[in-house]
Amino acid sequence: MTTAGGKTDRELLRRYHENGDLEARERLIEQYLPLVRSLARRYANRGEQLEDLVQVGSIGLIKAIDRFDVGRGVELTTYATPNIIGEIKRHFRDKGWSIRVPRGLQELNVRLSQLLEQLTIELERSPTIAELAKAAGVSEEEVLEALESGQAYTTVSLSAPAGQGEDGELDPLESLGELEHEYEVSEDRAVLAPGLEVLDERERRIIYLRFWEGLTQSQIAEQVGISQMHVSRLIRRSLEKVREEIASGQKAS
Amino acid sequence: MSADSITLSIPNAKPFHGVARLVVGGLAARLDLSYEHLEDLQLALASVLERDGYVAGQEVTVRLVVGSDSVGMAIGPLDPAELRADLEREPADGISLSRLLSTLVDEISLEDIDGGHWLHFEKRVPMTRPEPRGPP
Repeated sequence: MTTAGGKTDRELLRRYHENGDLEARERLIEQYLPLVRSLARRYANRGEQLEDLVQVGSIGLIKAIDRFDVGRGVELTTYATPNIIGEIKRHFRDKGWSIRVPRGLQELNVRLSQLLEQLTIELERSPTIAELAKAAGVSEEEVLEALESGQAYTTVSLSAPAGQGEDGELDPLESLGELEHEYEVSEDRAVLAPGLEVLDERERRIIYLRFWEGLTQSQIAEQVGISQMHVSRLIRRSLEKVREEIASGQKAS
Repeated sequence: MSADSITLSIPNAKPFHGVARLVVGGLAARLDLSYEHLEDLQLALASVLERDGYVAGQEVTVRLVVGSDSVGMAIGPLDPAELRADLEREPADGISLSRLLSTLVDEISLEDIDGGHWLHFEKRVPMTRPEPRGPP
């Protein structure tokens, strides 16, 4: 990319990294803000204001500029893009935790979600805690702690259609989008069952598959095309919603 | 306490339910249960503990018993009135306790122990780690 003054990114980066020229850094930030805005727009309409996401993405841009290695033959755009996206995704992930959960446990929870998928396929059965621990290179207690910490992850942001991360990571924000197209009206029994009216269409489908059809979580995950841990979160959250609904009905009467 | 049972008494408050879930998780790890079996046991536990009106007092006890091919769980003391009605409700009547438990576990009973009502259920599980690890 060439600046208005004819100076290339590389010159500005060199001025900043080699001479500590903060003006060059500022110019790079300004120059790349449209990229941040463009990437932030992809993640807008998920309960966050675009301007807030631009702010968050800008942190990723600044980190990319500060950490950029001028000696490497990589374009700043190539280096900055995953940094900006990563910062935005981290923002969504952190907001999803209803209580303070250490970052290490959050990351282990996400890693366990991936490992659960892999091991279920490899072993052709649900893995044990010991198998998950071995695959993750952590103790069984750490696995249990990380699974328990997942209880603190709200499904509010899970409705956001983020899909699988661009880095191949199974994002807790993964999409349930395709599910809606597969929903069959023939499942009216579940849709109309008392207590379930509080659930959205996707939650009802998963509850129906688990408690009416008797499918296991891994079977539901396969059928629906989301991770098993996501199915688990949605089941827990759905049952919690039903319990809250029943409790509020009791209080009202 | 028998070597094959764990008894945990906790305040009947949501923050402590996580403690009970962790204990169930610890036992599941000890018995080498699958993630799905652990999930079923934890959901069954939550369906009783986290439902307003089931637990009778300010404290609740969870007793886990390891059988030769099953894990048993007893929760109490509970208020029998609402619990019994929910257990007797037809599974067709929505997402009732009976529907949840009949999917998650294998045997369910409401027992009267020392004047208190306890919900007891059993889940049959494959036992693949019978020997205790570490020093006795």
